[in-house]
Amino acid sequence: MTFEMPDFWLALPEMFVLGMACFILVLDLFLPEERRGISYFLAQITVIGAFVSSLWVAPAGVQTTFDGMFVSDPLGTFLKLAIYVLTAGVFLYSRGYLRDRALYKGEYYVLGLFGMLGMMVIVSASSLLTIYLGLELFSLSLYAMVAFDRDSLRASEAAMKYFVLSALASGTLLYGLSLLYGLTGSLEMSQVAQFAGGHAGEHYAFVFALAFVLVGVAFKFGASPFHMWIPDVYHGAPTSVTLYLGAAPKVAAFAMAMRLLVDTLGPLQASWGPMLVVLAVLSLAVGNVVAIAQTNIKRMLAYSTISHMGFLLLGLLAGTRTGYSAALFYAVVYALMSLAAFGVVILLSRAGFEAERLGDFKGLNERSPWFAFMMLVAMFSMAGVPPTAGFYAKLAVLAAVIDVHQTWLAVVAVFFSLIGAFYYLRVVKLMYFDAPADPEPLTARLDLRVALSANGLLLLGLGIYPGLLMGWCLAALH
Amino acid sequence: MTFELFIFYLFAAVLVFAALRVVTVRNPVHAVLFLVLAFFSSAALWLLLEAEFLALVLVLVYVGAVMVLFLFVVMMLDINVAVLREGFTRYLPVGLLVGLAIVAEMGLVLVRYFVLPPGSAPKPVGPDFSNTRMLGDLLYTHYVYPFEIAAAILLVAIVAAIALTLRRRPGTKHQDPAAQIAVRRRDRVRLVRMDAEKKPE
Amino acid sequence: MITLQDYLVLGAILFCVGVAGIFLNRKNVIVLLMSIELMLLAANMNFVAFSYFLGNAAGQVFVFFILTVAAAESAIGLAILVVLFRNRRSINVEDIDTLKG
Repeated sequence: MTFEMPDFWLALPEMFVLGMACFILVLDLFLPEERRGISYFLAQITVIGAFVSSLWVAPAGVQTTFDGMFVSDPLGTFLKLAIYVLTAGVFLYSRGYLRDRALYKGEYYVLGLFGMLGMMVIVSASSLLTIYLGLELFSLSLYAMVAFDRDSLRASEAAMKYFVLSALASGTLLYGLSLLYGLTGSLEMSQVAQFAGGHAGEHYAFVFALAFVLVGVAFKFGASPFHMWIPDVYHGAPTSVTLYLGAAPKVAAFAMAMRLLVDTLGPLQASWGPMLVVLAVLSLAVGNVVAIAQTNIKRMLAYSTISHMGFLLLGLLAGTRTGYSAALFYAVVYALMSLAAFGVVILLSRAGFEAERLGDFKGLNERSPWFAFMMLVAMFSMAGVPPTAGFYAKLAVLAAVIDVHQTWLAVVAVFFSLIGAFYYLRVVKLMYFDAPADPEPLTARLDLRVALSANGLLLLGLGIYPGLLMGWCLAALH
Repeated sequence: MTFELFIFYLFAAVLVFAALRVVTVRNPVHAVLFLVLAFFSSAALWLLLEAEFLALVLVLVYVGAVMVLFLFVVMMLDINVAVLREGFTRYLPVGLLVGLAIVAEMGLVLVRYFVLPPGSAPKPVGPDFSNTRMLGDLLYTHYVYPFEIAAAILLVAIVAAIALTLRRRPGTKHQDPAAQIAVRRRDRVRLVRMDAEKKPE
Repeated sequence: MITLQDYLVLGAILFCVGVAGIFLNRKNVIVLLMSIELMLLAANMNFVAFSYFLGNAAGQVFVFFILTVAAAESAIGLAILVVLFRNRRSINVEDIDTLKG
């Protein structure tokens, strides 16, 4: 048996994150309660270190190592960088929230880092085995994080629902992967892709396997009709975990779709394209219509996630390079919008008070004009109002769909986002035209204020100058 | 019918029966035991497929550890069985019908399209072939990256299970050996001088 | 002669029993967890069978990892179940209505 030594250098970011997560886990045991900040700073240093090392080791082209199980390519590097930025934002935003609620424990950061490691493994997977393991590492960390507030009945119910449905989806995905392995005799994505393109006689067998794989992917996106977990988990989990769930995992879901659908089953685009059309239209419809009826902001944002995932799928189903880059742009921008919106929810919450009802946003303008403006930007961006980043993201996706002569899909998408605009604007109306229920001015730590402002301004800036990020997205998919 | 075929059908029948009982039986403890039976029959089938190591791992680790964990939890939680079964019979006919239809469809696709190319019958391995050795060779060389991720997954499971369920309750009466050893006489015994009781009149 | 199809159909039956178990036992979380185990067993059966008939060891390695992950998954699932039970004193999913679907 021949064995070639793997190039460990390429996996430096993964090794660094794993090592630091273990270090924080052990160190945290010896920290007294009032020194918990050290765990937080170490977690941030880990994320920054991963960012630097990812840039450092990024090869110019595509390189695989670990016997074709690990791939390092421009797309992977870009996705990882996005995941680091989003995770760092989540840690920063949630710090005060956790501290106010006796949830300020090292395990939050350890599990958060392991979840990030899982996403990194998904992003640079080039084998069916590694993508499955990455997915499980990420999901297991998230189950625990959702149930983290263990005295909360709502959180433990949400975790149970998430666990059962997610395990069902992983089981289905796994069954599909086993069929792909049986058809090709290989776990390597590139080899599976060769077989999928080469044998016309086995076309139906591949489509059969594809159906199972697609269920798993759609579940991770939370695309309708596999969206049942999203509203409950977003609502039930502590807001700091909802924040985590709404940001980087969307980028990871995009990575999973790219690796499984495009890299592995790319030759079957004619088969999965129409399946994604159904998922996208259903998600747009369910997300936008049901969100109107919500009175809880976390549930409303959960349904809004479903509709945004519908938009993202539109970019994927186009099956062109512009389509993929538009979907990538959408994923990153959506994650930033979600970070900003939940960031404001966290800003409004205090010890013993969760700003969850829409009514809690009444008169925010009087309490803090600047953060009301930040929420306005986030809401306008989600609704797709120019000149915010959300507008450009929607435009890019629609252009990609029209490019492949599916104009009717673009019309449907625009129709539903017009319906969706209603509930985003309702929040804006509450903030600017209603009297506050609680006239107290907002107090928050300096780092949260600065980060939230930067986040909001970034959404505005990306809307005015989308070219830079779009250029990176296109380059990543070269 | 060869002996191998007989063994296959015997264990396959037991496996399907056990699986069906897992999802239909009334008492969760019985369900766990049926799942154990299902794993045992699977292990026998895997032996037929020359996956000896996995068959043994399934019995030793899976039945021996995971299923016992299930049993612990089932018995620890005081579950009201009767309430849990409400509505079950209502869904059963529909579930059975849909399930059979899906099995038939999946079976048709699998039998029709998943055929091996002719002449590719598996070659029997020699008597000195070690399945465990082969897996070990692969795991620690070609599959070292997934192996490390699996380690991280197990670590997450440990951290999560402890973080979720470990409670330090105040007022538990556990011993502290260090304190017991360090104790001195005057910490424990106090001599009190008292006047003798007067004799009652 | 046992064929690949025999094993695949067996896997399909197990998979469907697992899925049906999830939909039939929507009230009992313990049985839900066991139904998930059945689905994973179905995938394992496929992998082992393919591995044998294709003469390729990768399938067996995959099963090794699935067993590892499944063990970790049940540990977390049961931990969540215990937390839920402590908060609620019941594992009846129908009682889980604080969150409306």
